[in-house]
Amino acid sequence: MAIKKSKHFFEDELIETIGEVSEEIYEQLPNNKDLNYIGKKISRYDGYEKVSGKAKYTFDIKLPNMAYAKILRSDLPNAKIKSIDISIAKNLKGVLEILTYQNIDDIDFYGENGKLLDQHVKHEGDEVACIVAESEKIAETASKLIQVQYEKLGFSTSIEQSTRDNSVKIYDWGNIRNGKPDEYERGNVEEGFLQSDFIVEDTFTTEVVIHHPTEVHCSVVNWEGDKLIIYDSTQGIFEIKKSVSEYLKISEDKVQVIKKYMGGGFGSKLEAGKYTVLAAILSKKINRPVRLAVDRKEMSLATGNRPDSIQHLKVGVKKDGTLMAMTHEAKAAVGAYPTGGGCSWPFKQIYLCPNVKTIDFSVITNTGKARPFRAPGHVQGTFGLDSIIDDAAYKIGMDPLEFRLKNYAEKDQVWGAEYTSKLLREAYKEGAEKINWERRNKVPGSGNGFKKRGIGMATQIWWGGGGPPAHANIEIKNDGSVIVYSGTQDIGTGTYTIISQVAAEILEIPIQKIEVILGDTDKTPYGPSSGGSTTAPSISPAVRDAAEKMKRKLISASAAILNVDEKELFYSLGSVSDKSKTNKLSITEIAANLKGQKLFTEGSREENLKGYVAQTFGAQFAEVEVDTLTGFVKVLKIVAAHDIGRTLNRQTLENQFHGGIIQGLGMALMEERIMDSDFGKMLNTNLHDYKIPTMLDIPEIEVIIVSEADVKANNMGVKGIGEPAIIPTPGAISNAVYNAIGVRVKSLPITPNKILKALNS
Amino acid sequence: MKTFEYMQPENIESASKFLTKNKDSIAFAGGTDLLGLMKDDIFSPKQLVNLKKIGDLNFIKYNENEGLRIGALTKLSEIENHNIVKEKYNVLYQSIYELATPQLKNIGTLGGNICQRPRCFYFRGDYDCIRKGGDTCFAITGHNKYHCIVGGDPCYIVHPSDTAVALVALNAKFKIFDGKNEKTIPAEEFFILPNVDETKENILNSGELLTEIIIPPINNNTVSSYIKVKERGAWDFALVSIAGVFNKNDNKITDGKIVFGGVAPSPWQDKKINDNLVSFNLTQENIKKLSSLAFEKTDVLEMNEYKVTLAKNLIIKLLLETFNI
Ligand SMILES: Cc1cc2nc3c(=O)[nH]c(=O)nc-3n(C[C@H](O)[C@H](O)[C@H](O)COP(=O)(O)OP(=O)(O)OC[C@H]3O[C@@H](n4cnc5c(N)ncnc54)[C@H](O)[C@@H]3O)c2cc1C
Repeated sequence: MAIKKSKHFFEDELIETIGEVSEEIYEQLPNNKDLNYIGKKISRYDGYEKVSGKAKYTFDIKLPNMAYAKILRSDLPNAKIKSIDISIAKNLKGVLEILTYQNIDDIDFYGENGKLLDQHVKHEGDEVACIVAESEKIAETASKLIQVQYEKLGFSTSIEQSTRDNSVKIYDWGNIRNGKPDEYERGNVEEGFLQSDFIVEDTFTTEVVIHHPTEVHCSVVNWEGDKLIIYDSTQGIFEIKKSVSEYLKISEDKVQVIKKYMGGGFGSKLEAGKYTVLAAILSKKINRPVRLAVDRKEMSLATGNRPDSIQHLKVGVKKDGTLMAMTHEAKAAVGAYPTGGGCSWPFKQIYLCPNVKTIDFSVITNTGKARPFRAPGHVQGTFGLDSIIDDAAYKIGMDPLEFRLKNYAEKDQVWGAEYTSKLLREAYKEGAEKINWERRNKVPGSGNGFKKRGIGMATQIWWGGGGPPAHANIEIKNDGSVIVYSGTQDIGTGTYTIISQVAAEILEIPIQKIEVILGDTDKTPYGPSSGGSTTAPSISPAVRDAAEKMKRKLISASAAILNVDEKELFYSLGSVSDKSKTNKLSITEIAANLKGQKLFTEGSREENLKGYVAQTFGAQFAEVEVDTLTGFVKVLKIVAAHDIGRTLNRQTLENQFHGGIIQGLGMALMEERIMDSDFGKMLNTNLHDYKIPTMLDIPEIEVIIVSEADVKANNMGVKGIGEPAIIPTPGAISNAVYNAIGVRVKSLPITPNKILKALNS
Repeated sequence: MKTFEYMQPENIESASKFLTKNKDSIAFAGGTDLLGLMKDDIFSPKQLVNLKKIGDLNFIKYNENEGLRIGALTKLSEIENHNIVKEKYNVLYQSIYELATPQLKNIGTLGGNICQRPRCFYFRGDYDCIRKGGDTCFAITGHNKYHCIVGGDPCYIVHPSDTAVALVALNAKFKIFDGKNEKTIPAEEFFILPNVDETKENILNSGELLTEIIIPPINNNTVSSYIKVKERGAWDFALVSIAGVFNKNDNKITDGKIVFGGVAPSPWQDKKINDNLVSFNLTQENIKKLSSLAFEKTDVLEMNEYKVTLAKNLIIKLLLETFNI
């Protein structure tokens, strides 16, 4: 073991970390067909708990004497609180305490851009007060009795309104984060365009979409003396531990964060929310446990979203299909508190092109703050990119797939790094075969009848290689039971299951013998947040490391017990024996000899290979049927072919792909935040008006994995899949719609009104 | 939601009388619509008058001479699963099949579906809009993609009920009871436009209850069908819907009726279209011509012009699909 500084991608950011790494080098495991557990369809470790209702989610946690908190939120998009009167509310029977900006400590939130409770509210749904009471109902009733006088301020709720000459300035420094866009350039685009035979140029837009995980954001907190215990529906227990301790200015060691089961998180649960900090302050004040769960409306307004985008794209291409120059200029509304909304990564990375320029503006608006959302930037960026690439291919009369192959990048184009592996060609080939690409309309829109079918595709690139620090420990108790501990968390993706598979595979014991403990900062060694598709590639190598070390430890223990040299002994199928097999000890027998001591090993993720970047690749192909009389798009089939390294569990892998594709379909065809620009308020804050796909919208989905193990990625050959699954879906569907009707709908979601308009033009 | 009293009247007379006397009370059937409105504080009745326990209002009766009679408290799922409805009144069956979700249909009643309140964002939100007694229809300058293209002024809601569209097409009659007297009126006279009264969608005064829906018998030459365009496969109100009931002889419609949903604050008929259905020759060309006659005068808002195209297209789709052309 050694402590190292390393870098890898987490979400769309290159992060630098310092932490202990494993220096052990292991041979790559055989291909999945020769393994017992890895790659197989193994049912979920926690499946029984979940389907039987025994699993306690954060939302379900009830502590003795617990009180309930609710947040009063602004119903105006931009205002200063002139006065706030809590006296009537406070007198309501059952109300315990009310926090407002007037009686709470001055705690910065969102960098320096706001306070935990601020006198200046900057969007509908911004926090105004927090009430704790004997029941949620009382807290809610009390919230309506708080009298707030506001000074209304001008507001802007769209990119357009925020970037006009006479826009309301939301901050003194203006409405563009950092005062300028994020820019990137390689080569010389002007020259590239001059050398092109054709130039295609267009504008594509996407709408704000909301995460809406099944389990709402919620925390249950309790103080035991000066120690704060937080049950949180979070994607990062260690992140919550760190940031809550910072907000409360207490030692990180005084905070314990626990999360056993979770009803989903798509990025909105990566950071600590105000609700957790407010609950902690209230709990301290009333000296009782406090639960704070937000509702669907609050989820819609104030727990994050994927920013929208207006992408102006230009591509220069030679007659033979060689890409010569590409420019991307995009704006995204990131909400009232600065954060990044860029979407140009796919543009910079996927297709081979010497001259590329990208400009991304993150625009401040009086709406809820954006947060990372399953492949931030990439989903909207890929929709724009793969639309213009399709246009370019049709323009020069080339098969869109052949055009993509013609501009295939063998190496990473941004840093010049080698890929640990890139099997995109294989993904194109297998995907095209399965959808039967030749059936597409060679001339878009040329089908007969009023129901027209079309086929389209889009490419996926993402990181998902993970990296250190990530730890897993293994303990064998005296009774021989095996426990794996890791400070990662299962956010519903199947982390418990894959960890038990890796441990069972390496220790060569039945999977039922493995217990997995995750999600408790006091009981488990550090694990990174579950985001960026990095959990499996960061944690599974650490589990392997701990298990390999355990095998050695078992040999060492057996040598001592048997009075023989370690070299005489070997490990197989959960037992240690010598060559002749006369001496053989099972794990249980070894453990029993250790009298009161347990066997314990610490495993860590190794460093990533220098000079390489581990990325995931893939292609999705969509077949749609468009009713040209009604404008309704029915997705018939999605074929998803991806290079994601080694498959750990075919079942949970398919679950991830289905989830990602369905979520992508929602964004492509129906999901959007609807704002009223006169009032600056969101109109569809429930799950009926905010339309997510129903069973009837879900197509046949076929998942093809073209990779075995990515041997250079890590000792398990694993890369992540959570985000790759969604990235190309909207692009593929939109290209299929174009192929069906011969006119392009350039804005998502592709709703019937837009199809009818396109067909009319 | 504010607190309220829950009343359980013995019979329809006392329910109706109580509702007449207590202006802040409201009839409660399945509650699928009402409770949502109350939870969102759109209105806060003092008393809920439960109709479900009153006998006699939950039935489906069929007789070849009189047709189909459905009690107002009959659950939508019971109607959907009724053989006669499926066999003979396809348009009604499809309108229910296309509506809401199985869960809602297991609780929601036909009377409640007909009397449900509009889904307009501004009516259902924290806005003092004209339908709630304010001065303004915020949809006019606001988000109006889902609003009406005809019959709107001064309030641009669309009527949300799918069954209403089918029932008007079927020439159904509604039985109304006011505590003393009973009257039966044609379905199309039940619904009103905002220029008559912008605060309600039908003629019912407080205390008046819808008790029965009567659908005339149909003959063997009758075919009927309902098409609803939504933004997703299920659980969505209509962008535009169309109901058609036709009498047919060979390749000809002898007479028929087409009714639209999602275009107006009530189920909507275009007189020109229905007049043209008398002795209508079913050819592609005629169908296109018919479609082009529809919606000559509209009052479209910024985001809803597509509904004109959609409604016209639905005439074509309805005839092509119903008659397999
Ligand atoms: C999420 C959701 C989606 C939906 N989607 C659709 C859809 O796609 N298409 C569609 O058509 N509908 C849809 N609905 C509406 C649903 O069908 C209605 O809520 C239901 O039919 C109402 O029946 P109920 O018995 O629950 O009525 P209630 O909620 O009890 O009552 C509704 C209203 O009618 C009044 N009322 C009820 N019965 C009578 C009576 N006998 N006489 C006089 N007044 C009466 C009540 O006072 C109340 O104002 C949807 C509803 C929801 C919540």
